[in-house]
Amino acid sequence: MDSELLEQVVNNLKEINSKLDRLIVQIECRDETTSDKDKIAAYSLDVLTLLSLPDHLRTTATTLFEIGPATADEVANVTNKERAVESNYLNQLVRMNNVKKYREGRKVYFRINDSLKKK
Amino acid sequence: MTLTLAIHSSKGGTGKTSIAVNLAVAFASAGKDTCLIDMDLRGPSLCSMFKPKTHFWINDFLSGKCNLKDTLTDSKKDIGTSGHLYLSFSNPDIGEIRDLVSKDRNWQAGALKALMNGKRELAEENIDVTILDTSPGVEYESINAVAASDMVIIVHNDTKACHDCTEQLIKGVYTLLDKRCAIIDNMYHGNCLDIKEKNRYGVPVLTTIPCMCDIATRSKNEILVHSDPEHLFSKSIMTIKDKIEAMQ
Ligand SMILES: Nc1ncnc2c1ncn2[C@@H]1O[C@H](COP(=O)(O)OP(=O)(O)OP(=O)(O)O)[C@@H](O)[C@H]1O
Ligand SMILES: [Mg+2]
Repeated sequence: MDSELLEQVVNNLKEINSKLDRLIVQIECRDETTSDKDKIAAYSLDVLTLLSLPDHLRTTATTLFEIGPATADEVANVTNKERAVESNYLNQLVRMNNVKKYREGRKVYFRINDSLKKK
Repeated sequence: MTLTLAIHSSKGGTGKTSIAVNLAVAFASAGKDTCLIDMDLRGPSLCSMFKPKTHFWINDFLSGKCNLKDTLTDSKKDIGTSGHLYLSFSNPDIGEIRDLVSKDRNWQAGALKALMNGKRELAEENIDVTILDTSPGVEYESINAVAASDMVIIVHNDTKACHDCTEQLIKGVYTLLDKRCAIIDNMYHGNCLDIKEKNRYGVPVLTTIPCMCDIATRSKNEILVHSDPEHLFSKSIMTIKDKIEAMQ
């Protein structure tokens, strides 16, 4: 009886796990191929939003403004933090739609999200 | 490397434009290649003092319609400075200003990106000093200018409101953006010789300039630092310039 219940719990957990995996893949794909329509909904990073960011994200975003499109490595070089830490911050900014992530060859670059096309 | 200064204040009419123009001429006269940009898009001033020789405004650059270089007018020959003095004008057309006030944060985000690119453009041209004159208070364009600067020059007058708002700006804007700051006390009514204060809110006070009608009346037709270097105002500007240079 007990082992049956346990098996059911494990199976449910596995199912949740695979659902999460699928979701993550979906989100990552969406990040990489934002269509023009999505762009209109996306916020670009304006200075008052920048001011309202928590300290660690603001430093990362300001650095990206200063040096232009960059890899997590390049940002970490300026902020004197670990690459993994900056990569985490940059990905948070990507999820908040303030920063855009894209690939060039084997490298992953980040840049401040573009504003709307002007009329 | 180009040094970019944002001239800002919490309140209006404290003397930002007067100080920005004279400081730019002081740097250019000392042989520095200088660029003065009118970032007061809501109340343009530069076009009332000089004549633009290009049909591109700074507004066009911020909207992504041209390069920063396209907006520049070199006034070196007209004024007679030894360094270049590039001016970038803000469009005084009222329709343009109405349009600007209704811009959304996406436009402002693009404008900030443009300014950062402009900074790189000027560095490539080996400009020594860039001065950004701004609108008072927390206006988007002004905070964009602050964000794009290396140092904020706060022009202050001796009123309670100005004191309170300046303290807020230092804590809630300049410090958050990691900017170095310096204060200029302008239009001071007491005896300047009594001033002992070197620091306020943890920010150095560069100089104190008295309130003199002379400064207001003569500034209509002259750039004092150029026409009358012995004037107290001109000497204060030179002090400011020297102290800023010493801080680099
Ligand atoms: N120390 C001074 N004594 C007397 N008048 C001054 C002094 N400094 C500046 N002024 C005068 O005060 C007026 C306002 O100066 P200015 O336009 O430079 O201020 P501002 O801060 O740029 O204003 P705004 O916030 O509207 O842009 C001008 O007429 C100027 O000549
Ligand atoms: Mg002004």
